[in-house]
Amino acid sequence: MAPSDNPLLDDRTVTFLLDEVLDLRAHLSAIPYFEGHDREGVEVLLAMVRKLARRVLYPTYKAQDEQPPVFRDGRVHLHPSFHAAWPALVETGLLSATRPVEHGDQQLPFVVHAVAAAYLGAANLNLVGLAMLTSGAAHLVEAFGDDALRAAWMAPLYAGTWTGTMALTEPQAGSSLADVETTARRADDGSYRVRGSKIFISGGDHDLGGNVVNLALARIVDPDGHAIPGTRGLSLFVVPRLRLDGGELVDNDAVTTQVIHKIGWRGLPSIALSFGDRDDCHGYLVGPPGRGMPQMFQMMNEARVGVGVAATATASAAYHESLAYAFARPQGRDPRHRDGGPQVPIVAHADVRRMLLRQKAIVEGSLALSLTAARLVDVAAHHPDDATRKTSQRLFDLLTPIVKSFPAERGFESVALALQIHGGYGYSSEYPVEAWLRDQKLNSIHEGTTGIQGLDLLGRKVVAGGGEALSLLLAELATTAGRAEAAGVDPAWGAALREAGDRLAATTMALGQRGLGGDVEGMLLHSHDFLELASVVVIMWQHLGLATAAQAGLARGGPQTPAFYDGKLRAAQYWVTHELPRVDHLADLCVRAEGSYAAVADGSW
Amino acid sequence: MKILVPFKRVADPENANKVKVPVGANGLGPKIETTGMEFKPNPFDEYAVEAALRLTENGTAPKARLGEVTVVTVGGPEADQTLRGALATGADKAVRVEATDEQLDGAIIARALAKVVAQVGPDLVLLGKQTVDTDSAQTGPMLAELLGWPQVTFAVQITNEGNGSLLVTRNGDGGVQKVRVKLPAVVTVEDRVSYSGGVTSPPTPATHKYADGVRFAPLPAIMQAKKKPLEVKKLADLGVDTALSVKYLGFEPPPARKAGVKVKTVAELVDKLKNEAKAI
Ligand SMILES: Cc1cc2nc3c(=O)[nH]c(=O)nc-3n(C[C@H](O)[C@H](O)[C@H](O)COP(=O)(O)OP(=O)(O)OC[C@H]3O[C@@H](n4cnc5c(N)ncnc54)[C@H](O)[C@@H]3O)c2cc1C
Repeated sequence: MAPSDNPLLDDRTVTFLLDEVLDLRAHLSAIPYFEGHDREGVEVLLAMVRKLARRVLYPTYKAQDEQPPVFRDGRVHLHPSFHAAWPALVETGLLSATRPVEHGDQQLPFVVHAVAAAYLGAANLNLVGLAMLTSGAAHLVEAFGDDALRAAWMAPLYAGTWTGTMALTEPQAGSSLADVETTARRADDGSYRVRGSKIFISGGDHDLGGNVVNLALARIVDPDGHAIPGTRGLSLFVVPRLRLDGGELVDNDAVTTQVIHKIGWRGLPSIALSFGDRDDCHGYLVGPPGRGMPQMFQMMNEARVGVGVAATATASAAYHESLAYAFARPQGRDPRHRDGGPQVPIVAHADVRRMLLRQKAIVEGSLALSLTAARLVDVAAHHPDDATRKTSQRLFDLLTPIVKSFPAERGFESVALALQIHGGYGYSSEYPVEAWLRDQKLNSIHEGTTGIQGLDLLGRKVVAGGGEALSLLLAELATTAGRAEAAGVDPAWGAALREAGDRLAATTMALGQRGLGGDVEGMLLHSHDFLELASVVVIMWQHLGLATAAQAGLARGGPQTPAFYDGKLRAAQYWVTHELPRVDHLADLCVRAEGSYAAVADGSW
Repeated sequence: MKILVPFKRVADPENANKVKVPVGANGLGPKIETTGMEFKPNPFDEYAVEAALRLTENGTAPKARLGEVTVVTVGGPEADQTLRGALATGADKAVRVEATDEQLDGAIIARALAKVVAQVGPDLVLLGKQTVDTDSAQTGPMLAELLGWPQVTFAVQITNEGNGSLLVTRNGDGGVQKVRVKLPAVVTVEDRVSYSGGVTSPPTPATHKYADGVRFAPLPAIMQAKKKPLEVKKLADLGVDTALSVKYLGFEPPPARKAGVKVKTVAELVDKLKNEAKAI
């Protein structure tokens, strides 16, 4: 099939971000852990990734969306294109690329991995989803398993000969994992016998060969039938589809009972699983008993950056599709000579330009934020200086709910705008945008819904450590504002960011005090608006960073064209003028604990 | 077998519409504006590397190298990345002849390559049939002439017959032609040599099916590529005649394509073809 005409991500923007905004060279040389890497090697890698995305993964996407996996004879059969595309993805070595040399790997910076994931995800989320689940599962075993577990389960996952899943969700336990009911009883051989049902388990079954290794949450039950309730009772287990028995792979009583019919990510199966119908489902404890949730959460933060990257990628592909369409589609005339003259391409119309610039601002803001977060992950994990590691971790923790939810929520709006630009054709499945719209919706649901992200930000992250993380963020905003002014960016922009940061701090303070005063419900009433407020500010921070680099590039005749730099300044200008003014309004809703929806009586709906 | 593959970095053809020519006096620009342009390996050169790798390996175990592939470019340090990309996909060595674009024309490049051939001593020089920036398709033929070696251009299929000769299928004007050529030789290739059956070479079992297209460099290979030899030679040190025989007087963008017209009837089409386009 033909390679994509759609660039998926703008290569120049990626180069600009890596060189002129995030300073990848400095990042690589500041952290000895990355000494095997240099900027040139990263570029060689990205050249490979771009080719793979555009020529191999993208051409399989539409067929996978149109012909989802089938459930036949108790097993799941993927679209046949997986059989060539999955090995091509595995052979890149990206599944395990960020892992340490002692596991035979490349210590690739997470920020570079995130760029690669963005290209590949924009091309085909089904395949990249399977890859993320597989390396996520391997990473859990690596971090918390002993040598025996690693040898048995981690190695084939990183090698991509087997695939992995995260098996958390159950019918009665979605957002609230405290209600997980799957049980594990210790057997004489030291392993556990697992029983229960899981639902929505992505990648839980397929016909790619090898094995499926589920990383499952289950509740340990003692011989008397007692179990610790709540999340403290949950432990992490390897529950494979096939277990190792004397060196042979044998059936492990983990059965597919259903394939969910989905509106998006349709190529990747999400299934219902039943463990232990014959009481012969072996599970292997990973880490200490009762540590399942904290262990999962440690990994989930990186998974949440992964969601942000995937959401950014989808929005980016749709933006580029609509951009090309806007230049190609003639319709309507220049309002100055309404009846005469030829039709103009729709990009000439102010309202279409509005939809394009809004998308550009969302996509580039999301990309900059996701990569900033990924860079913080690198620093927090590997910087030689203790204090730097700690503060980076704090700031990353604070940003995580925003990285997870902003690209998902606004990215959905962004894809909707791309569809709108296509008019009626966008509503038809002849054009690719509607599929991306369906894919994008998942990103605000899995790995913690947006509602849960709002609660996480307000109920946990901003108040953590006596508000220390928020102070760190405010300091970052001030630094960026100072740099922007020094570079010659309109000083009003930096001033507006500082002011918005102060408003965020004041709002947090007011809500924190309400909570301390006992009114927790009032504090959390507008958690969504608070998340929105913080997101608008954080994205402004990102756009101001881009604008600063663009202004500097213009002044010194940087490597990109003046038109390119000007585009970055326009996106920043848009965010200043269209989004930042919302801060006051959102803050007001939070602080007043505006009561419309809270007050609706059951009978009043 | 030892193979030399000349390898060039070109402006990304997919971004051709971003190419800008600053307009000078008489409507011609002094040079093409490269700011903000993206560069890639010339695709035909990538096909040549792919063919060279297939000729020097057992395709069932591509990591065991059975021959040697050297990639060479003439250009500035910015081309090192392109060479590293080729090393990452499997080439064994790289050579860069240091020169700036202003110092070069096709003939000087061919003369420089002839010197590199003398130093490296390959059995075969494989080139892309042309580069996608200037499309002149001269380097291969000029090099063969300078070396006094036989040449086969526009190869779509190469079979190593194992006795010091290659059987090459080429696309000619009058159709497909099969040519047997004794090594050492110069062969220029089209994209089809990188298709599944593009190369047949004895150590690789005839039953082995390559994937269509050029191979992707896995990350570990990209990192190891940094440790492979990349030798830099100075153009001046090669002892070639560096007098330019081609001078660039100016550049102008191709004329913008005119909008098409829709015809209503076949009669109208015929009329337009006859009287406006004068095509029939
Ligand atoms: C395509 C797909 C793939 C998935 N893949 C996996 C997978 O691989 N592994 C896995 O374990 N799970 C997976 N999931 C499950 C996913 O993580 C859950 O759907 C998600 O956590 C939400 O749980 P739920 O569906 O039970 O919704 P619910 O928890 O019932 O939520 C319903 C609504 O109520 C809101 N809500 C719930 N609790 C609260 C609260 N305390 N405060 C405020 N609002 C609240 C939510 O925000 C949401 O809007 C997948 C889901 C989908 C759709």
